Amino acid sequence: MYEFIRGPLLWVAFIVFIAGLIYRIAALVNLSLKKDQVVYDHFSTSWALRSIFHWLLPLNRTVAQYPVYSIMTYAFHILLLGVPIFLLAHSVLWYESWQISWWSLPEDVADYLSLLMLALILFLIIRRMVAPYARIVTTAADYLLLVVVALPFLTGYLAYHQWINYHLMVILHMLSGELMLILIPFTKLSHMIFFFFSRAHIGSEFGERRGTVTW
Amino acid sequence: MGEPVNTEVIKERLDAAKSARMKMWLELCAHCGLCAESCFFYLAHDKDPTYMPSYKVIKTLGEMYKKKGKVSREFLEETLDIAWGKCTVCRRCSQFCPFGIDMALMISTARGICNTQGVVPEGLQKAVANYWAEGNQMAMTKEDWLETCTWMESETGEEIAGLKIPMDKEGANIMYTVNAREPMYYPQDIGMAATIFHIAGEDWTMSSEGWDDTNLAMFAGDTKCMTHVVKQTYDAAIRLKAKNIAITE
Ligand code: HEM
Ligand code: SF4
Ligand code: SF4
Repeated sequence: MYEFIRGPLLWVAFIVFIAGLIYRIAALVNLSLKKDQVVYDHFSTSWALRSIFHWLLPLNRTVAQYPVYSIMTYAFHILLLGVPIFLLAHSVLWYESWQISWWSLPEDVADYLSLLMLALILFLIIRRMVAPYARIVTTAADYLLLVVVALPFLTGYLAYHQWINYHLMVILHMLSGELMLILIPFTKLSHMIFFFFSRAHIGSEFGERRGTVTW
Repeated sequence: MGEPVNTEVIKERLDAAKSARMKMWLELCAHCGLCAESCFFYLAHDKDPTYMPSYKVIKTLGEMYKKKGKVSREFLEETLDIAWGKCTVCRRCSQFCPFGIDMALMISTARGICNTQGVVPEGLQKAVANYWAEGNQMAMTKEDWLETCTWMESETGEEIAGLKIPMDKEGANIMYTVNAREPMYYPQDIGMAATIFHIAGEDWTMSSEGWDDTNLAMFAGDTKCMTHVVKQTYDAAIRLKAKNIAITE
């Protein structure tokens, strides 16, 4: 069971994640060639890059309007990408050498960061329930995806501290991580790629066509 | 009321509007709510969340896609209420959305779909009929239009000697166009514009056709009529070999 989840299933998850995203991009570009000529007509690389830049970094009016949420969501995204990549480096090492176990590494910082991440996700969930303008557009899927994102951190934290059932936690940890990877191409999480496309478009649309910024 | 809804036509329209952008936007919305503050409707209604941009899109176009066009007349009436009554399609929200989702375009698409079923605010329906009848939103006849211009020429000419309102002059630098409400209710506007052109020594003209630069058909979501309106103006400019088209403020 454990071997299967760590071996073939991990590969499946990675392949679905990568191939899924490539497929989604190819399908979208293909459709755009047929139905979005206007985008190509007014595309501007410099406006596109500036639009992405101002939103990848907190350099826009919206961030200033919602400072608390912005800090939270930036921390959320940085940890989301940072913590697994950081840990993955160890797991890859482990995988290649078959000698060291990644979960036995002393990862004090990652441990605290996982806790911080859980707190951030809790904040995001509560915000959705409390803020009327977020609540009214929130769907069950929005909560579920936040839970899916939280699970690898929660189970990883529990496994690290050997709470509840260690082996079960490790298995759940890997399963939930794999689930998240598989879901990315097919849910709103695909925004990790499409963000760049939609920002490039709106940046050009407002910038190139009417000389107005979108940040 | 009570008339059947042609869901096939709606489905066709929805499919036609499903560009790569539309597909991406429908999927991408994080439901984060950050577009709320950007909309003056939301601010003017004490931050009532039903006025926030993404909610309005979800309730109208989003619902149409979800139901694959199978919507009722009541639904279309509600959409009219939102897409015209709670949004001006000003596009400000897309400047504030982290993903730059063009919600105004989506509301516009919803309006177009309502239009296929005759669900359009009355005033706009009237305007569209007027455009088809006389080429301008007030259904002003060509004689009335030319007469108004002549009248303004003589009235303004009394104050400024030598002032002319050149009609249908070929090869002018500027072909000036107006809002049809001006000749109808505020003809002095035309005299004022003529004064400016005259003092500036501009080589200008006005056309006897395609002179209304408003496009209420666009607000009605009527693609056929909105094309007709724009085309009239361009055709006039081409016919008169005008170098530029100027529109009233
Ligand atoms: C470079 C990659 C990414 C970019 C540029 C990005 C950008 C964004 C933006 C602009 C939002 C909406 C507003 C906000 O909450 O700030 C958002 C929300 C969100 N993102 Fe990302 N994202 C990226 C990667 C990811 C990944 C990989 C995941 C998860 C697998 C993710 C999960 C989420 C979630 C769950 C939300 C909603 C937050 C909430 O519920 O309030 N993001 N992201
Ligand atoms: S386009 Fe509509 S929803 Fe968006 S800001 Fe303008 S009025 Fe509000
Ligand atoms: S700001 Fe953009 S992503 Fe967020 S709710 Fe509004 S439309 Fe959706």
